[in-house]
Amino acid sequence: MSSRLSSRLLTLKSNGEKAMGIFLTSGFPSPEATDLLLDSIDVGGADFIELGMPHSDPLAEGLPIQYSSTCALKAGITMPGTLEIAAQFRQRSETPLLLMGYVNPILRFGAARFCEHAASAGVDGLIIPDLPPQEAALMRVHMQKYGLNLVFLVAPNTPAERMKEIDRLSDGFVYCVTITGLTGTGLAGRLDAINSYLKHAREMITHNPLLVGFGIQTYDDACDLSKHTDGFIVGSAVIKEVERLWACPDLSMSERGQQVARFVRSLKYGPEK
Amino acid sequence: MGKTRIIAETGAGQHGVATATVAACFGLQCVVYMGAEDTERQALNVARMQLLGAEVRPVTSGSQTLKDATNEAIRDWVSNPTDTFYIIGSVVGPHPYPMMVRSFHTVIGEEVKQQLNGATGKDFPDVLVACVGGGSNAIGVFYPFINHPEVQMFGVEAAGEGLDGRHAATLTRGAMGVLHGAMSYLLQDSDGQIELAHSISAGLDYPGVGPEHAWLKDLGRVTYLTETDKNALVGVELLSRTEGIIPALETAHAIAALKKIVPQVAADATIVVNCSGRGDKDMQTIMDNL
Repeated sequence: MSSRLSSRLLTLKSNGEKAMGIFLTSGFPSPEATDLLLDSIDVGGADFIELGMPHSDPLAEGLPIQYSSTCALKAGITMPGTLEIAAQFRQRSETPLLLMGYVNPILRFGAARFCEHAASAGVDGLIIPDLPPQEAALMRVHMQKYGLNLVFLVAPNTPAERMKEIDRLSDGFVYCVTITGLTGTGLAGRLDAINSYLKHAREMITHNPLLVGFGIQTYDDACDLSKHTDGFIVGSAVIKEVERLWACPDLSMSERGQQVARFVRSLKYGPEK
Repeated sequence: MGKTRIIAETGAGQHGVATATVAACFGLQCVVYMGAEDTERQALNVARMQLLGAEVRPVTSGSQTLKDATNEAIRDWVSNPTDTFYIIGSVVGPHPYPMMVRSFHTVIGEEVKQQLNGATGKDFPDVLVACVGGGSNAIGVFYPFINHPEVQMFGVEAAGEGLDGRHAATLTRGAMGVLHGAMSYLLQDSDGQIELAHSISAGLDYPGVGPEHAWLKDLGRVTYLTETDKNALVGVELLSRTEGIIPALETAHAIAALKKIVPQVAADATIVVNCSGRGDKDMQTIMDNL
């Protein structure tokens, strides 16, 4: 399927460029700020954006995204609110947009209805970390109907055969989790081990682009871990930057947005000279 | 399996104490996650776990009870899959945990068979009653009798402050959903966010329930009732004064439900209530509320 996401990743690959995906929790730090943040991330050069659908019990998340999820829910974000934010963004930008979140809110919304609403909001795909591939049939039929990509994840302890199976079931890309653990986990001292696992994953995963994520915080991490992959994804580090900027009372909203854009750009292109 | 480290979550602390005990026996490192609210109301069990050499990590996220302790245990487990084994305390979590835990707890039902035969000469009771939080003691006592339709079964959930207030009556008031890797009934809002459960008993204070109970409810094989915090306290008193057994607050929900169940069954029915826990851990709460 030639989706917005797939063609973007293909174009980057043919240009010899690595893809950068940026994660943002919808509704963090407030539902009103999300539009500005999405635009800033877009301006900062994200090749695709993952908009997180906050959940009360985000099992795969480390503290930064747990915190952003709690804040967003307290600030009143809802699933219809997130879909509206996505739809508004699609009016302003053609950058591929995925929704990332846990399966229960999707089932509650109704799997078919959710896929229909996501597709009509201009969403390109879904990442659902607690939906195992062997249970995904309940989503797949609706996602195919509405042309949404479904991205599955592999981890360092995923057996080779399962990696191949996940490659077969995914479309858009395969999400390679750096470590067995949570988002935002520090990777210091582990980069060599991660790279040898990524090299192995690259050999197993042949149908889909490979994107690496979890714990990538800097340009150096991103460069190092993109050697064997088609690109990288940053989430917790962006959330922490947003948290820091929103704690500075002297900054205007547009200054905060500019700084987020600068931060995002630095992840792909290095610190400004 | 080559594991050197054991983790567990606990609500009332009974499962944590049991896990700390086996870890001490086998010389394994043991970490028990427990909601901060539960570490206070079940302080006796915290002291027992610590005496047994376990590290008790209070969990301060969310409702600070069993659900959040389970979240943290799962996060620990996925972060340490090589050296750590997760001993889940109820028939919840991802497959095959609900089946494994059920198998272990089936000793309760098997023992009922033996004791009943010795005491009455019967092979089957007429009625089984057990409290249901995650549902491990209940599934343990029910399971050997499930294929014997003449055995009536009642599970008793915590109605907390009442079904219109804060409660933990997942099967009675919940809706289908996914939590901790299993699909079952859940207390959740219209947006699919998990709602905070409430029960005076830490062991029933959980917004989910084992998926097999959801199945047994949908089949109509087990009848699920509820009892409030208040009734549970009456149940504590009742069993203490009639049998000389101070039951746990969890168990007291099953005792309290007898007032509803006994009038529904034959006068000579043999009724087995699973006394799933002892009340010494709850004495502070009982004293504060009675």
